[in-house]
Amino acid sequence: MNIIDFENIHRAYHRGADVLNGVTISIEAGRVVGLVGKNGAGKTTLLRIAMGMLEAQQGAVRLFGLDPRREPLEVKRRVGFVSEDQILPPFMKVEQILDLHRGLFPTWDESVAQDLIVRFGIPVRTKVKALSKGQARQVALLCAVAHKPELLLLDEPAAGLDPAARREFLETSIQLLNQLGTTILFSSHYMSDVERLADRIVMLHEGRVLIDSELDEIQEHYCLALVPHNGDASRAKLVSLDGCLGVRERSDALHAVFNLEPESTARLLEAELGITDSLCNRIALEDMFVELAGGQQ
Amino acid sequence: MQFVIIPGSELPIYRQIMRQVTDALSGGRLRPGDKLTSQRELAEQLVVSPLTVKKAYDELEREGLITTERGRGTFVTAAAAATDPRQQKERLRPEVRQLLSRARLSGVTVEALAKLLVEEEQHWNTERDAQS
Repeated sequence: MNIIDFENIHRAYHRGADVLNGVTISIEAGRVVGLVGKNGAGKTTLLRIAMGMLEAQQGAVRLFGLDPRREPLEVKRRVGFVSEDQILPPFMKVEQILDLHRGLFPTWDESVAQDLIVRFGIPVRTKVKALSKGQARQVALLCAVAHKPELLLLDEPAAGLDPAARREFLETSIQLLNQLGTTILFSSHYMSDVERLADRIVMLHEGRVLIDSELDEIQEHYCLALVPHNGDASRAKLVSLDGCLGVRERSDALHAVFNLEPESTARLLEAELGITDSLCNRIALEDMFVELAGGQQ
Repeated sequence: MQFVIIPGSELPIYRQIMRQVTDALSGGRLRPGDKLTSQRELAEQLVVSPLTVKKAYDELEREGLITTERGRGTFVTAAAAATDPRQQKERLRPEVRQLLSRARLSGVTVEALAKLLVEEEQHWNTERDAQS
């Protein structure tokens, strides 16, 4: 059974454009999936639907086979959630927050909690409002993992943290993966974090899944073709080719991303469009993101 | 053995790990019977997903270079010592391809490139002799 299933999820905001427009993703146990896409692509909306904080207008979401809107308690007991804008009660002391969680979760493991308190150096007698942003995020992470959830949902967990705090966050996540084998779905704008933590990547674009792939596949089986403006190469012609994921018009050339190896792409361009002067190269994750999510020039 | 990985590269992290093991084998820094860092430990050291390390180790095992003995750890196999020169050569192919494409772009001929290699080797040898 899958840990999480999104099936044809639609969600629009009142009078606004669609945020999610038919999203289907399934995640098996033990996988770590990085959810990427530019701001407004629908990442947060999707994670909130998984948590039952928002309802899908069409489609279904199941966690462990359960509907998070119908069985919220059962689902929340088995999930850990951290989000960028999570607000902990400012006038509570950290230890009071920990007490609260300890009472809520029957599976709370005090040794995990104590380990992280020591590791992060969390001042438990301090009030939340006196914590730094990084410390507050660490408390949120601690609360999300100490009950040993089967699934972690992290919405931009590293946003706003300095590089050292971000790394510490990653290190902790990896140790938890080692110890507990938790399934993780996390959104992030930091491609190097995605590369370190994830084994699968899902890219949302304009409310749909543009890429759903093993992480290594991107570097091994995708390429960026630079097609000079001369001749009659055009954006429309490139987009219509099989395997083309997106094209950007830039001043130097047309930038086209293909789900093909560089050699095959060059052959395809020559055979279909008679283009012989394209430059096709493998692509790093960050560049792929920019090419697909970035605007036209 | 120490590993270094570079995220943001066009080479997937699991390939970077594999390449460092094969390089260490051909360079004699890893020998048959040597024990490799455990997968969990390496994941924590490099701060990369345990699944990525597992993929690298699985591939190396498939190639017959390492073997995992349950409860004892992962070791370099005897077969890993006798590396086929042909295989060693194959491993260099991607870099050679890159070099060739750069040479083409800058109008350097294959002959000139070959000459450059020979020159560099001579240079290397003179330096080594000077040191010893």
